[in-house]
Amino acid sequence: MKRTLQSYKSGIKPVWCPGCGDYAILRAIQQAFLDMNLPPEDIAVVSGIGCSGRLSHYLNTYSLHGTHGRAVPTALGVKAARPELTVMAVGGDGDGLGIGGGHIPHAARKNVDMTYLLIDNRIYGLTKGQSSPTTPVGRSTTTSPDGVTEPPVDVIPVLLSYDVSFVAQTSSLNIPEMTDIIKKAIRHKGFSMVHIFSLCKTFPVIEADVLKDLLCPLPEDHPRSDKLEAMKRGYSRDHLYTGVFYQVEKPVLEQQLDARIERSCSFEQGEPTDNIEDLLLRYV
Amino acid sequence: MKADAFRSELDFTVRIAGEGGDGVISCGELFARAAARTEYHVFTYITYPAEIRGGISMIQIRVRDWTIYSMGSQVDYMVVFNQASCDRNLPALRKSGVVIFDPDHVRLPANLNAIRISIPFSNISIRETSSRMSKNIVALGALSGLFKMERSLVAQLIKERYAHKGDAAVEKNLKALDAGYSKVVDSDQRGKYNLKAEEKSRGRYMFLSGNEAIALGAIAAGCRFVAGYPITPATSIFETLIKLLPRVGGRAVQMEDEIASISAVIGASFSGEKALTPTSGPGLQLMGEQLNLASMIELPLVIVNVQRGGPSTGLPTKTEQSDLKFAIYGTSGEAPRIILAPTSVEDCFYQTIRAFNLAERFQSPVILLSDQSIGYRKATVRLPDFAEIREIGECRPQDKLLLPSAEKIDLVHRIKPKRNELKDYKRFKSTPTGVSPISSPGMKGGQYIATGLEHDEAGKADYSPANHLAMSEKRFRKLEALSNRLEVNPPEYHGSRDAAIGIIGWGSTEGAIREARYKAEAEGVLVRHLHPKVLSPLPVRKIRHFLADLEQVLVVEENYTGQFAHFIKGKFGIKPIEMHKCEGVPITSNEILAGIKKVARITDEKNITKL
Repeated sequence: MKRTLQSYKSGIKPVWCPGCGDYAILRAIQQAFLDMNLPPEDIAVVSGIGCSGRLSHYLNTYSLHGTHGRAVPTALGVKAARPELTVMAVGGDGDGLGIGGGHIPHAARKNVDMTYLLIDNRIYGLTKGQSSPTTPVGRSTTTSPDGVTEPPVDVIPVLLSYDVSFVAQTSSLNIPEMTDIIKKAIRHKGFSMVHIFSLCKTFPVIEADVLKDLLCPLPEDHPRSDKLEAMKRGYSRDHLYTGVFYQVEKPVLEQQLDARIERSCSFEQGEPTDNIEDLLLRYV
Repeated sequence: MKADAFRSELDFTVRIAGEGGDGVISCGELFARAAARTEYHVFTYITYPAEIRGGISMIQIRVRDWTIYSMGSQVDYMVVFNQASCDRNLPALRKSGVVIFDPDHVRLPANLNAIRISIPFSNISIRETSSRMSKNIVALGALSGLFKMERSLVAQLIKERYAHKGDAAVEKNLKALDAGYSKVVDSDQRGKYNLKAEEKSRGRYMFLSGNEAIALGAIAAGCRFVAGYPITPATSIFETLIKLLPRVGGRAVQMEDEIASISAVIGASFSGEKALTPTSGPGLQLMGEQLNLASMIELPLVIVNVQRGGPSTGLPTKTEQSDLKFAIYGTSGEAPRIILAPTSVEDCFYQTIRAFNLAERFQSPVILLSDQSIGYRKATVRLPDFAEIREIGECRPQDKLLLPSAEKIDLVHRIKPKRNELKDYKRFKSTPTGVSPISSPGMKGGQYIATGLEHDEAGKADYSPANHLAMSEKRFRKLEALSNRLEVNPPEYHGSRDAAIGIIGWGSTEGAIREARYKAEAEGVLVRHLHPKVLSPLPVRKIRHFLADLEQVLVVEENYTGQFAHFIKGKFGIKPIEMHKCEGVPITSNEILAGIKKVARITDEKNITKL
């Protein structure tokens, strides 16, 4: 049977506010899965807490809506145990840059072959408008009545510093671009991160028109393997560049784990075995 | 009571003590390994200082011709390297015991009632190897001579242990061994025991620490994924697994912290694998939130908590049974989980297998509460009958299942949905036992949403009052189903049915309590001993029955507040006498015996014939 967009929809009706950027992101994910013709039963999606955390409910995949900030290590466990699956983690700016920010460098170091979509609306929307790690300075929120004083996280430079092996940026305003980048991220062999600007209609931090004017595709000739160039464009204040900033090949966690199995078994000159007798006899 | 289970021909305890870095543990472990090759059982107990160097290290080795239940209350042979370790440990030496000491570093009290063997470990080491480093092997040589061990066996163990340091190091240590050996033999101070190596007639035995037994038990149970973060005293479980898992096609990943570790284990279990994370108290606390998620989305997984002294950083290298309440109740909201506690090194192996069987069968996180004293202790463990290890596949809560033992091990798996159940699949379908078939990725039509939000049978978020009640009932029904199984297969009682005094313990105190019971019986005080291994849920009817016949119940545990006693009080409405030890070291059989006698004095006079 030919797959359609319907094949990737769970049938559960989203609870997001009208006009939320998450609708477009959900659509782009489903389109990317369809374009790649991935069997839904071979996809695992792990999401965190927040509006974006609900995303996994609406996909007809093996979906795990876990705890705040832990989508990445949870998804890593799925991939490490079952390398043949397509594994995706989804979370918001609170999830990925606040409570769970500490997991990103380690997923990057391990270079687990999964995709992490960091959906950044610059506000805690689900809990009705508290400031987040990317809320701009001066912005008044329920937890910053006199305006935010801490500068926001520079997301792309941070990810580059961690040497995330695929770093891209896009926005919920552009479904075709998102779809294209998500597909590239899934195809990338290693830990791929896509920072997606999203709009919160209920607690708007930035208007669609303003964001649209700031967005600008990376130049055609942007050198993807040049981290310093990527860093420079990641820090840009005049434009918010979209596209793939950085992509590099590194050994992947699952390969390393497989190599350990191979080494251990070739040393013993045998296949992996469930027969534990010789393991236990080592202790006699 | 079997007479031979208590009285034996050969039963002695050796303690070796020195400064951290003296090689005390190496010396003791080599001696224990050599002793384990004989006909006899061996049991070690180790305390390390928390630091790499400095502080006092101690290893105690008990050798016996019958099963050993505890580290022993008194020391028969003491080896001391320096004054501080001598002063600290000498009080444990029994009257007329043997003390082997370095006269250049230790001055013994003049009035000491002991047989003194003076061996200048340091000077002999310097003379033979031009370094102090081998003084522990000089001491090992002395012990080997004392117990008439075969030189060739001890030499072989030294070669295995020091091979990685090169031939020169092995040669030096062999010279040190011979020097210590002949020092004792020449002085004709040989002990009364003969530890000549022999083929064991009682079956084949491994020599394992409790932590190694847990790692091997996990592999035997079919665990093929482990994620962990180093924490004393649990680390060697992960170290053993990362070494051995690849051989059976398994994967081990060191994570950045305990939260990440349990997250990865949740991910692995969600993907269908049997998965484990080892930790100690502070790590378990960090895992709390994710543990609740596992209860909520009903995932099988095993957490091993090798308890240490607490709270906070506490006593990382010491033992305590003080995480029980956290294990049972440490949840936000009400999250059912299963708590097991192994009682010995050997039991670590079998309870770990049982932990996986229960996790898979009841789709629940299982916490295995071990502790430092069994984690670090080494003991002889009978090899299971490999022909009797069977995969029996899916297992339902109501199915009969034998407890894993050396004779027979059944391995079970979570129930999967059948083809017809995959049409309009309801992952969290309400069933009489609360257990519903669980799909895993790759299974077409089995896709579902596992959410930490309250959800309906299909997994869809649902906060309605009726649904929350129904799903809470579903999750807790699984514990009832397990509790009902335990009524059929209850914990064993030991001791006479006529006893008026009952003693309840859990975890690693089993051996010391058992020994105390034997001693009490020898003095005419009858005691019944109950030692559940599944601590939560408990088989309520059976335990009520046990309690009904007793006049006094003593609950023994190694903590300050009496956590299990409170649990028993709450469940059964009785007022037990609580006996706590909160010193970071295991309770001894003599301490428990003293408690039993005290209780006996205030109980039924008829029980006391010889007090």
